[in-house]
Amino acid sequence: MADHNDPNAVNSIFSDINYSAADLYDLFGFPTDEGRAALLALTFAATPKTGELDGDMLYRLLVTSQPRVAFPEHDDVNLDTVLRYFQAVKDKYLGELTPAEIRVTTTEDQHARVQFFGFPCGYFSTTVDLNRIVSIQAPDGRVISAFIGGRDDAFFNDLTGFFRSINYAPQFYHVPHTMTEARELPIPKTLLELDGNDLFNFRPEFPTWGFMQRDGTTPKLQLPPGPWEWRGDRFKKDANGHYRFVYDGSDCRAGQNCNAIILEIPHAFITPDPGANRIVNAWGESWVRKATGKVAAIPDNQSWLEHPWKAWRAQSLDEELRNYKLVDTDGQPFADAGLSEREDDRQLGANNFWLGPHFIKRLAHLGWGFGPAISALGLKCSFDHDNSPVSVHRMYDSALAAFPRVRQTLFQPLNMPDESWNPKRLNIPLRRPFEIFIPNVCALDMDTTGTWPFGRRLEDQVATRFLSLFLDMTAELNGKRYHIDMLGDPALWASLPIEPKTPPNPLKNDKEFLPHFPYLAEPWPEPGQY
Amino acid sequence: MSGYEVELARARRDIGALEVMIGRNERALELRVRLAYRQFHLASLTEDEVEFERLGKLITTLIDDFGPLEDVCLLKANVDARFHRLDEARQDLSMCPPLVQRRAGRAILAEVDFQQGRYAEARHAFAMLAEQERTWDVLARLAHWESKLGDPDEADRLYEEAEDQLTAKEMRSFAWVELQRGDLALARGRFTNAQAHYQRAAAAFPGHWLTDQRDAALRIAEGKAHIAEALLRSVIPRCPKPELKQALGELLTSLGKTEEARGWLEKAAAAFLQSVQEGGVHYYHHLAELYADGLGQPAEAVRWARKDIAQRSNFSTQSMLAWTLLKNGEIAEGLRWIRVALASGVRDAGVFATAAALCRASGDAANGEQYDRAAVAINPTRQHVHIH
Repeated sequence: MADHNDPNAVNSIFSDINYSAADLYDLFGFPTDEGRAALLALTFAATPKTGELDGDMLYRLLVTSQPRVAFPEHDDVNLDTVLRYFQAVKDKYLGELTPAEIRVTTTEDQHARVQFFGFPCGYFSTTVDLNRIVSIQAPDGRVISAFIGGRDDAFFNDLTGFFRSINYAPQFYHVPHTMTEARELPIPKTLLELDGNDLFNFRPEFPTWGFMQRDGTTPKLQLPPGPWEWRGDRFKKDANGHYRFVYDGSDCRAGQNCNAIILEIPHAFITPDPGANRIVNAWGESWVRKATGKVAAIPDNQSWLEHPWKAWRAQSLDEELRNYKLVDTDGQPFADAGLSEREDDRQLGANNFWLGPHFIKRLAHLGWGFGPAISALGLKCSFDHDNSPVSVHRMYDSALAAFPRVRQTLFQPLNMPDESWNPKRLNIPLRRPFEIFIPNVCALDMDTTGTWPFGRRLEDQVATRFLSLFLDMTAELNGKRYHIDMLGDPALWASLPIEPKTPPNPLKNDKEFLPHFPYLAEPWPEPGQY
Repeated sequence: MSGYEVELARARRDIGALEVMIGRNERALELRVRLAYRQFHLASLTEDEVEFERLGKLITTLIDDFGPLEDVCLLKANVDARFHRLDEARQDLSMCPPLVQRRAGRAILAEVDFQQGRYAEARHAFAMLAEQERTWDVLARLAHWESKLGDPDEADRLYEEAEDQLTAKEMRSFAWVELQRGDLALARGRFTNAQAHYQRAAAAFPGHWLTDQRDAALRIAEGKAHIAEALLRSVIPRCPKPELKQALGELLTSLGKTEEARGWLEKAAAAFLQSVQEGGVHYYHHLAELYADGLGQPAEAVRWARKDIAQRSNFSTQSMLAWTLLKNGEIAEGLRWIRVALASGVRDAGVFATAAALCRASGDAANGEQYDRAAVAINPTRQHVHIH
């Protein structure tokens, strides 16, 4: 009988989820050595501790290199166009594309085993020390610089502000894991506080609310009983007529470390024709060893056929990988948190073409929140919100209905602040959101500096740049076209009717990056790690 | 330190750290919920009733201070179901109506249905949950249903699929599933297979007393009583469960060490009765078994079996009542109850063996022979050993 047979009795259920080495933070990628090498840095949670890797984890960096291709249908874009684009990406990623791979596992004595698959010189592997810069000699004679170990976390971001903007309740309230409907509460997302929004507006008497503290705890409140709603009709203004920003520019990752796999790879090692293949696509994955892989001689039964991408994955796994389970992926910043709602089943890495229609719907949902806030500030918006005076909570069931709203947001070329991104002054088209996020890869253009969205440099303030998607890039401010760093300009915020007068996110990291490999700063001393 | 000791130490360390932090702010809801869950984890590891009592107090004060929070109600329902407080488990879930619709709540309700003999409803609910998402815990519940009322080969396949969902960070859960597979093999008399699963459990989560307990059951079935005795003697100091004392007492009885056996059986009885005195209901089953077999007081056994069946009428409690009635010479009523148990469709060699014994006692040799064959078909060894 099931008297003592309850699986939950042996399961660490809810409120008990540990900090995980599988949690990927970021993938950075930019050209070095004047475009002859690519720097790739995959960062993840510093557990078991900074500089020590979890022996049950397997990390992958997947890499391809291809020619730069301009999207052909520049001026005549519609839903069909974009769906055909998603289909073409799908065909490519399910078809001829076989990415090369760098795989990192940890030995029992805390060394990193690094395997290289699918590169032109063929398979090889090596074992390297952790926390040291090492040179890996490839069979073709080329040298790859590697650092695997603990660093300062290179992400600098007002995470609490971001979560406030999307009404992400678990940052501010105790939300049981079962209550999936209480993650993003169903009120308008916004950049400006909503008048009467008691659920998320800043509380002067509780300034630490939603901010992680030094002891690792985050002060939260008890979630009020539903329905969670907002019945107002305007943004909040103070006595001076100023709006209240949901961001305050805090660096919520200050003083914190990560573990990282940092590689500087000659482009000619990645592709035999670096002259033609100017784009390096990369994405990262974390895999955790299956229990069956930990105990010998247990038969493995692959029975995850209910989702097509899972079936595809199962077929493509090699012998070692079959003993692991995919947990997290990372290509583009905000592709997960902002656009895929951090759903486990949407952790698809480059293969997120399945999510194309979802991407359109989600972008429209965000647009109804952020768009009116941008317009209220007197800025021009790329999202069609019918001149709504205040943010709106609107969900879409179909991409067809959402598409007209997001058409410009999806397809507009993202202006760069100046020409420094393109030092060779080549005819490189500006990137557009739909091609940035699908597929979910970090696409380094080796002829650029690799600043986002032409890769991702450490110093890029990608969270603020992400918000710039909702700016109308055809508009001008003070005689200059809107661009992706405009919202990071303190002078802009100083001129706007808003408090606090700060860019949404910090302008730089809490520690200076290094001018040389491994570029990420030294880690903070252990007591500084939460 | 073994894997079990490491996890035990970690749970205790976490609990200590949480208690310090909560001491600085007693209204820190999230920390207090986390503490309750860590306490649940510790209690589940040790199966020490004292730890479960501490957990009960934490849950009570959480509800008093913050109202019926969803995750706290879920935890309470889990604990109540575990201790056979099935109506309370339902009540816990109903304190938070959305819980009844959620996976975790539906799984507990299905478990309650199973315990209370609503097998088809339970099967349907498990199957629906598995159809939506094949999580390891749901697969294990479905496997358990199949092991008792369906196809044991399918049960093993489902357990295997459950294992495939688990990662190296869940080795205790993996070991637990291996123990279920071992039990399944043992119930079919497949000792070598059972041993292999128990050994894998031991390799996955070394040092856990639960694995030694199961190994002891296997040794009894194999007729290696002295090995089983040594195992049980090594487990008892590590785990305060009175069921283990009962098992050792019964084993010693079979070895002719009646005087020492009586001491262990009386200790077990005293602990069971103490629990009942404090309001517990989960030892009714053990008391029925203990009085029927170990202590030879069949009338008392019938009394406890009837109390058990009033809580949860299922093939297991029905069969136990039939067995105690047989022991007490109440053959006609025993037959009635074993027929009720058999009507469930249960495929359990022990239940068939009880049916065979009752039929023979009533003079129905033909049916006795038939049920005996059914029992042997499931378990050719005729060794029906299960230590709770």
